[in-house]
Amino acid sequence: MSVSPSSSGGAVRERPRVGRGPSRPRGGGRKSNGAPRPYGRSSGTPWLYLAPALVVLGGLLVYPVYQLGLISFLEYTQAQVSGGEPTTFKGFGNYAELFGDAQFWRVLLATVVFAAACVVSTLAVGCALAVLLTRVRALPRLALMLAALGAWATPAVTGSTVWLLLFDPDFGPVNRMLGLGDHSWTYGRYSAFALVLLEVVWCSFPFVMVTVYAGIRAVPSEVLEAAALDGASQWRIWRSVLAPMLRPILVVVTIQSVIWDFKVFTQIYVMTNGGGIAGQNLVLNVYAYQKAFASSQYSLGSAIGVVMLLILLAVTLVYLRLLRRQGEEL
Amino acid sequence: MKLAPRLAVLLAAAVVTATACAPQTSDNSSSGEDEKSGTLRVWLFQEVNTKPKEKVVDAVLADFEKAHEDTKVDVEYIPVETRAQRIKAAFNDPDSAPDVIEYGNTDTAGYVKDGGLLNITEEFGAWDEAKDTDPTARQSVTVDGKIYGAPYFVGVRALYYRTDVFDELGLAAPKSLDELASTAKKIRDAKPDLYGIAVGGAYTYGAMPFIWANGGELATGKGGSYASAIDSAAAQKGIKAYTSLFGDDNCPAAKCAGMGGNDTVTAFASGKAAMAIGGDFSRQAVDAGKAKGKYAVVPLPGVKSGSIAPAFAGGNNIGVLKSTSHRTLAVDLMKRLASKETQGEMFDAMGFLPTFTDVRQRVAAEEPFVKPFVDTLAAGTEFVPASAAWATIDSSQVLPTMFQEVVSGKKDVGGAAGDAARKMDDAFGSAG
Amino acid sequence: MNLPRVRVRRPWRLAAEASALLISVVVAFPLYWMVLSAFKPAGEVESTEPRPWTLAPSLDSFRRVFGQQEFGRYFLNSLLVAGTVVIASALIAFLAATAVTRFRFRFRTTLLIMFLVAQMVPVEALTIPLFFLMRDFGQLNTLGSLILPHIAFSLPFAIWMLRGFVKAVPEALEEAAYIDGASRRRFLWQILFPLVFPGLVATSVFSFISTWNDFLFAKSFIISDTSQSTLPMALLVFYKPDDPDWGGVMAASTVMTIPVLVFFVLVQRRLVSGLGGAVKD
Repeated sequence: MSVSPSSSGGAVRERPRVGRGPSRPRGGGRKSNGAPRPYGRSSGTPWLYLAPALVVLGGLLVYPVYQLGLISFLEYTQAQVSGGEPTTFKGFGNYAELFGDAQFWRVLLATVVFAAACVVSTLAVGCALAVLLTRVRALPRLALMLAALGAWATPAVTGSTVWLLLFDPDFGPVNRMLGLGDHSWTYGRYSAFALVLLEVVWCSFPFVMVTVYAGIRAVPSEVLEAAALDGASQWRIWRSVLAPMLRPILVVVTIQSVIWDFKVFTQIYVMTNGGGIAGQNLVLNVYAYQKAFASSQYSLGSAIGVVMLLILLAVTLVYLRLLRRQGEEL
Repeated sequence: MKLAPRLAVLLAAAVVTATACAPQTSDNSSSGEDEKSGTLRVWLFQEVNTKPKEKVVDAVLADFEKAHEDTKVDVEYIPVETRAQRIKAAFNDPDSAPDVIEYGNTDTAGYVKDGGLLNITEEFGAWDEAKDTDPTARQSVTVDGKIYGAPYFVGVRALYYRTDVFDELGLAAPKSLDELASTAKKIRDAKPDLYGIAVGGAYTYGAMPFIWANGGELATGKGGSYASAIDSAAAQKGIKAYTSLFGDDNCPAAKCAGMGGNDTVTAFASGKAAMAIGGDFSRQAVDAGKAKGKYAVVPLPGVKSGSIAPAFAGGNNIGVLKSTSHRTLAVDLMKRLASKETQGEMFDAMGFLPTFTDVRQRVAAEEPFVKPFVDTLAAGTEFVPASAAWATIDSSQVLPTMFQEVVSGKKDVGGAAGDAARKMDDAFGSAG
Repeated sequence: MNLPRVRVRRPWRLAAEASALLISVVVAFPLYWMVLSAFKPAGEVESTEPRPWTLAPSLDSFRRVFGQQEFGRYFLNSLLVAGTVVIASALIAFLAATAVTRFRFRFRTTLLIMFLVAQMVPVEALTIPLFFLMRDFGQLNTLGSLILPHIAFSLPFAIWMLRGFVKAVPEALEEAAYIDGASRRRFLWQILFPLVFPGLVATSVFSFISTWNDFLFAKSFIISDTSQSTLPMALLVFYKPDDPDWGGVMAASTVMTIPVLVFFVLVQRRLVSGLGGAVKD
């Protein structure tokens, strides 16, 4: 099962070449000798392979997304759902209502800032610990790896409730250790967000750590040794040697973190009891859910969903640009 | 690769058949069927302690199953907090919907508008026990003159207080809302580990008497059209009175802003509060805690000394879903669950106040505990706007948000009440 | 495990190892507290003097959890749902990843971008359309209503991750196989599949976790048939926002976390190598 680490090493080694030649070396190579296959008589083969995935995604993802977009242009509340009243087309009415609502902008801002904080903290912790993993012997490495896998394995609902108990004003050990008395962490807006942030970082840094660690292991040791012999500091080795080589991996974990953290739902929902005091801890995903299900304003909830999708799409475009600038092909 | 394409075609066909251009709606017309045997599903609410309720219900179901051959009843106790979603889902999928449900009387108008409840005016009229139903309770199952269920119990709230604490500090039960506030602060001062009175930012039905006692109203209007009155001067006075109870001198905002009705009762029951606004239905929960035997109940006082604040006439009903395919059986089961006999037993088990005037008088005579609640009922009660919009206002937490905004200092009373009024008017407007 | 490759000076290494151990303790602490609280007797969990140990471990909380109606059934349901999703999405994703990496065809890039975009869909917002879709399939109230959407939501990420693995298998190998007379199907299942297997394992971790943890769909689609309930629903029974039964919540959480932990420990080695292979481009 050693295919992947060694080959990923290969890929990293290839990187400088990519930088030099603007033509896509690997893609070009494949086109000439890869495309005509001995058994490639039917060009339908890839579509055959893709068929199950496309059917499932088409039916259970694309179609619902289409419905989501459609609903966001309609007047659609419980009365319409149960057939009591006909659905009417509202055009951009739902969006106008949404954009005219000060709370939406507050929630949007909170979501962006919160997600950014989560991504930055997760990446910082994950990368730092990945580097740390390469600096220690087997036993501490195993301990850290197991602890991280434990955090990763913990279901979001469970993790949220455990963190709530840890920080519970009456029964939690944290306040006792810090001597905070019965300070309530979920009352203040920022302390509630901070608490959720800690939980999110706790359960999502392992993905970054393990991935980056696997990436560092694939970096040829001679490079690092050479850098160390030159007397470069740890920070410099990271900045000038590791980070550039790990860039594709970092881009992937960043984009994944952005996708996941922007859509945080369970943690906010459970830890702040559905959005906090007077809705102060709402993020877009929870806000959409509350609008749709608590208030039965399905069309507004859908409009929020569409806005989220568009924002994430913008992020994807940036990501694709980044990949392309590196001369990557998809 | 023989299987894959076939499977794909099959799945694709399935997708195509399910695809319609318009978003889905459900056909909520009644099924028209009336099977005389089979399985009936019943949803009742979970309580703080559901066991005694289960016992009473099980006895009723046993009799019912004996009376009807080849019938079985599946009963499920659903959590109150998430009831809105569950019940809406049931309306949207008749196949998995229950036949009989318990529902809060504030939800009646909304469920009827959603087309979920069965009109049983005829059966109710023919039911001989129904004539003793108290008019307020009857009102709570009526929409536009048609009846959509049988009242199950009435719920009315009053002031619970700890007799031992009051005796120790030489205090008397408060006679007015001002006295209530000053008493609470005295207690907190003398006993800093107790809340004077446990209040909750999300405890709408505990807060509303403060608004009504000050002459305020939630909304004005009749029939279909309502307008919010939550930002009127009188209502704002009530909001101020209620929110002034949050603070380190009574119930610290950090703890109490997020509490709901059950939290305040739990705090009282576990001995963390000297007073709380609890319902007749809270008795069993309080008796299960540390406060057992050390408390008394008086009506929640009004503004004038000696008066009683108008209470919210809460309570639950039992209804039949329109989608049932066992109409006769379901209606019979509803009658049995809400009968005089069952209500009497439910009172003994859970302390739920019966909706039949004669049964209520009987239990009040036997059980002095009920007196303050019956007095409160007699002094006049208020109800939430009888509009389908109320379910939306309630479930989108308009009023809790308002109280929490004031309590946590995010907005002043005027600003928070103004916002709440705007949201309420939106809801009234879209509910028509 | 041929590390450390860089010679680190001794005091530095000791400091690094000490902090690694310290961090492991901090990271593991919430899990420790969860298990501890599950074993604490009732009075101790809700005590204002929390202690990091217990002298009288008790199984009461676990008894409450398992005494809940049909807890074993919920557990099996969860396993069934997660297992089906893992296997189905792994197979489907394997085929799709093979198609997009080992073939050139029109719309290939478009498709890849679509797979990336598909990951961005906020799942929670799709609950409503999916509800009606499931109803029309007659799947509401059955485990199928949980399995189908989760397959769909696991696929895009799985395909995206598996690409790297399929790409890593040298093309020469494929050509050699064909020259040896292997059919396309034989190459796919007997040569490519075993080679990509570690990647499938790494991928399945994600689909397993997201399916195992789901409570939103379970809450929305399993309307009235409690025999089709899953574990997270059972956990929520103990977590009433008003007055959580912390002992019960922690015991249920422990029960819910253990299968995932076992799964992780089983695949741990492959996961580390797998992620390294998957994220490279």
